[in-house]
Amino acid sequence: MDVLNVDYMLGLVPVLLRYLPLTLQLATIGMVLALILACLFAVVRVLAIPVLNQLTIVFISFFRGTPLLVQLFLFYYGLPQLVSALTVIDGITATIMGLTMHFSAYMAESIRAAIVGVDRSQTEAALSIGMTNGQLMRRIVLPQATRVALPTLMNYFIDMIKATSLAFTLGVTELMGATQKEASGSFLYFEAFIVAAIMYWIVVELLSKLQHYLEIRLNKAYSR
Amino acid sequence: MKTFLATMLMIISLSASTALLAQDNPLRVGMSGQYFPFTFVEQDQLKGFDVDIMNALGEEMGRDIKYETANFSGLFGMLESGRIDTVANQITITEERQKAYIFSDPYVYDGAQVVVKKGNTEIQGVEDLKGKTVAVNLGSNFEALLRELPYADEINIKTYDSNLERDTALGRVDAFVMDRVSASQIIKEKPLPLALAGPTFSQITNAYPFRDTEAGRALRDEVNQALATLRENGTLTSISEKWFGTDITQP
Repeated sequence: MDVLNVDYMLGLVPVLLRYLPLTLQLATIGMVLALILACLFAVVRVLAIPVLNQLTIVFISFFRGTPLLVQLFLFYYGLPQLVSALTVIDGITATIMGLTMHFSAYMAESIRAAIVGVDRSQTEAALSIGMTNGQLMRRIVLPQATRVALPTLMNYFIDMIKATSLAFTLGVTELMGATQKEASGSFLYFEAFIVAAIMYWIVVELLSKLQHYLEIRLNKAYSR
Repeated sequence: MKTFLATMLMIISLSASTALLAQDNPLRVGMSGQYFPFTFVEQDQLKGFDVDIMNALGEEMGRDIKYETANFSGLFGMLESGRIDTVANQITITEERQKAYIFSDPYVYDGAQVVVKKGNTEIQGVEDLKGKTVAVNLGSNFEALLRELPYADEINIKTYDSNLERDTALGRVDAFVMDRVSASQIIKEKPLPLALAGPTFSQITNAYPFRDTEAGRALRDEVNQALATLRENGTLTSISEKWFGTDITQP
């Protein structure tokens, strides 16, 4: 190959940028839903609520134990075969479902670890001064657990942004899908994919900055 | 948080509305958008021979065409699960596919072609693929064609979702097999050091697959009728001439 086709790369930037919002939306919605689900799972696991606890264990085991791509195919192509009405699950919905369940399984475990990691003496102290379970969670345990869980949760979010690149297999043209199509029209693979790679990289880099800022804030109470 | 909720609502309503639209009149057509020059994208524009033919068919039938692009390996799943009505991606009629789907009349007649890296004189045709590594598109008919060869066991077949031309040019595989028309087109238009190896083997006819249901059969008849008209009034020929400089729509 000769030199890099820079003009082509520059021309591609505005085109691919149109698909970046969808990538971010998939990841953001997936993250919020996954966080909610993961918190529920974590609470069920920490409190060892009978039946729910066992179900959660199976759920986490399945969604951690199988590839995300397999799960996406199951939701998108598999379910409508069993129940034809489920064809209403479009590619975007199936992707969000897949991301949510897959990542909630991972996140549940790190949230649970963060909660369990808060020293027992704190719980005992809080209860001894008459706090209710809710107050204990809200005022004592969760603030400390958040600080511990934040870096790993941000990691999962970053991972999720990159995982959205699987969505094109379900017909969702997000950043990666748009890039693949452009590349196969021009056969300038390196140029197209490096532009996409840099876009992902910049987004993740911005998020790392945000993570750093949040960590400093949450650590204020601990620095002297 | 507000904008966040707004985005969320937007997505939900968007997904709901696409589901509703599907009930409407447009013909939902799946294609990979990654098969030059049949279906590909340039500056966000879906183009190609298959796009032009489909648009002409849509005009003839008085229907809007709604294109859904996805990786080739996902297209039949989308057809099966009722998310698209047909696939316009040079789908070859095969016995296996005929068991599952019904096909329109063919609109392209072609042959399978071996393509090698330029300068490779070792492979002169399909019989020289013995002991070689050969790339084909995942889920494509060319894999089946290779497996039918008497010496299929001696061919190392590698399946690709896309980019097999590039891997052949890089020397990662010894050859790839594709239809002659798009292979010649790739060699002509793209900056990849590739060459056709020998004549074509096995005739190929391409058509539109539909689900074998009442609605599917009705759609197929509608498409067949429009195809016949476009064949008679020369539209098929002129679209083919535009892309290939030759008529690939006649047997």
